[in-house]
Amino acid sequence: MYRLSKLRFGFPVGLFLMLLIDGAISQVFSVHMFRAPTAMVSHLVVLWLVCGAIFEADSSAFEMPLARWAAVAGVIFDLYYTGIFGIYIFIFPVVIYLTRLMVAYIRPNFLSGLLIYFIDITVVEALGYVASRAIHLNDMAGSTFLVNTLGPTLAFNLAMFVLLYFPIRWVYNWLK
Amino acid sequence: MQKFSFNRRLVIIIVCVIVSFALMTVSVTIRNKKSTPPLIQQFGNDIVGFVDRVVAIPTNGLSGSVSSLSELLNTYQENQQLKKQVSELAQTKVRDQTLAKENKQLKKEISLNNSLTDYSAVTAAVITRTPSSWQNQVVINKGSSAGIVKDMPVMSGSGLIGRVAEVNKTNSKVELITDNNDTANRFAVQITTKSGSTVNGVLSGYKSTTGQITMNNITTKAKINKGDKVVTSGLGGVTPKGLYVGKVAKASGDDYGLSTKLYITPATDLSDLNIVTVAVTKQ
Repeated sequence: MYRLSKLRFGFPVGLFLMLLIDGAISQVFSVHMFRAPTAMVSHLVVLWLVCGAIFEADSSAFEMPLARWAAVAGVIFDLYYTGIFGIYIFIFPVVIYLTRLMVAYIRPNFLSGLLIYFIDITVVEALGYVASRAIHLNDMAGSTFLVNTLGPTLAFNLAMFVLLYFPIRWVYNWLK
Repeated sequence: MQKFSFNRRLVIIIVCVIVSFALMTVSVTIRNKKSTPPLIQQFGNDIVGFVDRVVAIPTNGLSGSVSSLSELLNTYQENQQLKKQVSELAQTKVRDQTLAKENKQLKKEISLNNSLTDYSAVTAAVITRTPSSWQNQVVINKGSSAGIVKDMPVMSGSGLIGRVAEVNKTNSKVELITDNNDTANRFAVQITTKSGSTVNGVLSGYKSTTGQITMNNITTKAKINKGDKVVTSGLGGVTPKGLYVGKVAKASGDDYGLSTKLYITPATDLSDLNIVTVAVTKQ
């Protein structure tokens, strides 16, 4: 019933909004989030995508073209935020693929969703790190990455998941 | 059949990885060589930037009101300190104006049109920041239509904060000096020591643990003291002369003991940027 629901338009709008809010949060709270040497990276767009995959499996009534929209979000992320094309356009669909794989094994709810999101954020950050190391965008050592970027980023995004899971579920139910 | 599908998946993954690396390499090359990104990218960025302003204005306004509330608490003390500084500044400003005027007249007399110190300032607001831990980049709301060209230096408050990395029609990306990639933060700078000699060099990186800019490979005999001011030298490129970078925090021998390595404390807080100034030079 995806074709007939409000989600058909609501989902991309929410996705795009989350993408822009990521940047806005990074700008407004940059003093707290990017205080050297640690860096917390906001990934609300991943939260929106993963929640989409979780609620899609939960209701099992309809399927959404999540991977396609993930690629679109990746293109915008690459062009507008980083200026390096070809990183997040692949990472975001991989996240959707992984989430769908996990959702097939674990019945998704709030707690298992938290675990799934933990894995997804780790994958996003790790793949992003590998890609940027490969094209010499950073010279961070692996251990430094784990301590200074991955740790704080996971903490921030899991907190965001806890805060926003139920509001986002409400939005999805309203759009359905 | 099972084997076939596994092979197909492997092929897809490998193709994706190859395409990804190809795209990354191409875009890095374009970023380093060309002065503007491809037209499609510019167009897309302009549209996204336009929509982003709608999101950014309320959030930035909100943060502005919150920070003004918190700043209200120590306003009195700050006011006292600033009053003292203002009286000194007025004197400096008047002198500066007189000198600039004199300088202009002198330049006219020897028919020198542009020297290394000439630039005009374009003020821009920061729309958004790249949500990434290694790409320290902000997007500002002025682009090529305001006369901004790639590689121009960007300042905020009293000092240099970075350079323009990508220019679109109505917005552009600024790479901060805290970014540690291969092409960032290589500014030609000079230090005038207390004894009056000038030391030239190039900024070489950023040490995130201490928040200091590093400067390598200085082979001068001149003694560089803590607190000496570092300014851009205007050599090689579009950076004008005399932009303030920071103060020397520490001078030490480098890893091999052959040359001097400097640590520079940046003049401005590089994580808190709202309004920036692009130094536009005539080329």
